Amino acid sequence: MRRRSSRAGSKTVVNVVLAVICLIWLIPTVGLFVSSFRPATEILKTGWWTVLPHKENVAKDQIQLPKDTDLRQPIEVNGQTFSDDQLREGVKSADGTTFMWQNRRARTIDVLEPGWIMNTEFTAENYKGVLTGKTYEIKDTDGTVKTKKGNGMSQAFINTLVVSIPATIIPILIATFAAYAFAWLRFPLRKTMFVIVIMLLVVPLQIAMIPILRDYTALGLNGTFLGIWLAHAGFGLPLATYFMYSYISQLPRDLFESAFMDGASNFTIFTRLILPLSVPSIASISIFQFLWVWNDYLVALIFIGNQPDVQVLSMKIADMVGTRGNDWHLLTAAAFVSMLMPLAVFFGLQKYFVRGLLGGSVKG
Amino acid sequence: MKKMNKTSSLVTVLILVFALIISACGKNNAESSPSSSSEPSPTPSASASTPAPSSSAPASGSALEEALAGKYKGTTVTMFGPFTDADQVKFEEAIKDFEQKSGIDIKYEGSKEFEATVSVRVEGGNAPDIADFPQPGLLNNLVQKGKVIDVSSFISADKMKEKYNQSWLDMASMQGPNGPIMAGVWARSSVKSLVWYPKKAFEEAGYTVPKTWDEMMALTEQIAKDGDPAWAIGIESGTATGWPATDWMEDIMLRTTTPENYDKWVKGELPFTDPVVKKAAEKMAEIWLNKDYVYGGTKSIVSTAFGDTPKVMFENPPKAWLHRQASFITTFFPQGLKAGEDYDWFPLPPIDPAYGQPALVAGDIYAMFNDRPEVRAVMEFFTTGESIKTWIQSGGVIAPMNDADPSWYTTDVERRMAELVKNATTIRFDGSDLMPGAVGAGTFWKGMTDYVSGTVDLDTALAEIQKGWPK
Repeated sequence: MRRRSSRAGSKTVVNVVLAVICLIWLIPTVGLFVSSFRPATEILKTGWWTVLPHKENVAKDQIQLPKDTDLRQPIEVNGQTFSDDQLREGVKSADGTTFMWQNRRARTIDVLEPGWIMNTEFTAENYKGVLTGKTYEIKDTDGTVKTKKGNGMSQAFINTLVVSIPATIIPILIATFAAYAFAWLRFPLRKTMFVIVIMLLVVPLQIAMIPILRDYTALGLNGTFLGIWLAHAGFGLPLATYFMYSYISQLPRDLFESAFMDGASNFTIFTRLILPLSVPSIASISIFQFLWVWNDYLVALIFIGNQPDVQVLSMKIADMVGTRGNDWHLLTAAAFVSMLMPLAVFFGLQKYFVRGLLGGSVKG
Repeated sequence: MKKMNKTSSLVTVLILVFALIISACGKNNAESSPSSSSEPSPTPSASASTPAPSSSAPASGSALEEALAGKYKGTTVTMFGPFTDADQVKFEEAIKDFEQKSGIDIKYEGSKEFEATVSVRVEGGNAPDIADFPQPGLLNNLVQKGKVIDVSSFISADKMKEKYNQSWLDMASMQGPNGPIMAGVWARSSVKSLVWYPKKAFEEAGYTVPKTWDEMMALTEQIAKDGDPAWAIGIESGTATGWPATDWMEDIMLRTTTPENYDKWVKGELPFTDPVVKKAAEKMAEIWLNKDYVYGGTKSIVSTAFGDTPKVMFENPPKAWLHRQASFITTFFPQGLKAGEDYDWFPLPPIDPAYGQPALVAGDIYAMFNDRPEVRAVMEFFTTGESIKTWIQSGGVIAPMNDADPSWYTTDVERRMAELVKNATTIRFDGSDLMPGAVGAGTFWKGMTDYVSGTVDLDTALAEIQKGWPK
């Protein structure tokens, strides 16, 4: 009895701790989400949390000081004297209210009292700017002003899909083949090669950029989708191979032996047994690889560039803020639009994590 | 199980061999590339492009005339540069007419990471035909490696002199491996020595535009007495935090010492620890470190984004009254303000009358990496004011070319900028853009930020900045 209650108690503790951690993890996203609906001027003035009801000093009254008050001397307000610094920060007066400059130049002081307020200024302009593109005003030679519409995110969104899907499928397909071979086939130098693949895990991709770029230039692959698929496939392979190996090598040996006895070739074993059995693992490495490619900026920057017909989302978003970062407020909305796809992929593939595919497969 | 399937093992082996080769290649190239790269020869001719048959023959007319005659119809010139978004649209609008007339397709690619990417591309043999450098220091690195094509090889010196002021030409002349070359052409510029103010409120408050530094300080004090901090200053700019402070320093240097000293300073011959530089920093500190003179006090300078800084001038009533920043800052002003009515500028006034009214400028230099006749034509096109005409009309740029007509500027505010540059006693380029990256985009930014934030005192800060120079 005691033991059971203590177990239930520890479970509650774990849940509470997890909930708190989740909450902390979520806060930045929530903040970003709220900010994406706020006008830029409001974001500059107040934090996103002010949209929640909160207690703040609200002006109840105003005091007009004589216009010739010298700000560098102690200032007398309603019989009390304060320094200029105090009035800038806000200072408690004798009756519990707070005095603060409303307009230093006009020498008016706000009398503040705490009250409940919330900030309710929202706008959809950020999303509009991101989705349909900004409009630019251009003066023509004869002085007429014409507006020109910039590109929205749709083209970049499609480009990113075109990059991400093959760049996920290609390396994972190759990695699964390789993992099967490493795990269940016997051939010379198997261990050595596997060690080399593992070693490639620690090689940072940055050192390979200029050499690969040179090769790509020679082959004419720069700025093409094929080029970036190959680049992502190469950079993603070591991890995918290792990941798939650790899963496939854990599958029960009896399964393959019986299949082999029944006359199955390696290819049949791979397609009929390995692939279906490793679906959970393939799904999870797919999510990794897909997210990595989707969010990638560096590889796209070097190998595919910024031409509108091939430009990917991450680069489009970076360009949206303008040459000097004047449109930073669009970033919040753009971030959410670009987040849609990874979220969809995650929730779409989520069921593969929970499904226990191996249950009972060796029996009989 | 012991017997393995031959085909599938072969596939695996092939994949691994491929991986091995890739890794081997990677190492090989990385080691050999800095010392002796195979393809780019000392005379940097076209690296990967196919030379057009007509290229080598001595051209009868200039490349530009030939292009306008339609000789290069159907060719493509790639361009790579740092401006994106609105600037990109304006640029493309400005070259549209030329593209239609000549039939040359100029493919512009803008990237926020231009500075980081362009070197990688040039090293990787994937150089654009033309690249737009806002920082000549960066271009200088590539010129030293012999990657840039000498503009004077196809545009005569006389012609260049006709198009540009001598000081622009001096700034474009850089030291290549085989002697000095004309590294590029100046295509657009901005003026930096401007002090912006909210004109309407400024006049209503009865203030007048100061003509000298002392008058400006008196105005600052007057505004402080009236109850406002005079200056809106903010230097936060992400990883580039501190650059507006370097502009101030350069502007004050031009006003407190000789142009020769300024040049020496930019070249690294006059150290930051020199009393001349220290004097300039102290002059700047008169404003910056006085909490009554700066909106939000000195401590907010480092944390205020430079683009958001001027916005307080346009609140009603203004919370600050003066803001020193380059001409591009108007894109950050709240929308709907009218140039010349709601805001205006005056030149940062002279400090020592001996040095007159100098102007600090910045600009974009277009450099050429692949020598093809159509690229030459496009480069020549960029030396004409016509190439940025509509851009001038829609605002935000000043033409460095002599043949740009002042009537193209649609507002007086911008026309006066062009005049300021024309009439300036000395024109100097933004020094931090000319210094090597380690200083100009490194310790200079950081040192100024540390000094303003109060982390270190002035002497330590200047010594830190000086350490950035390569020994």
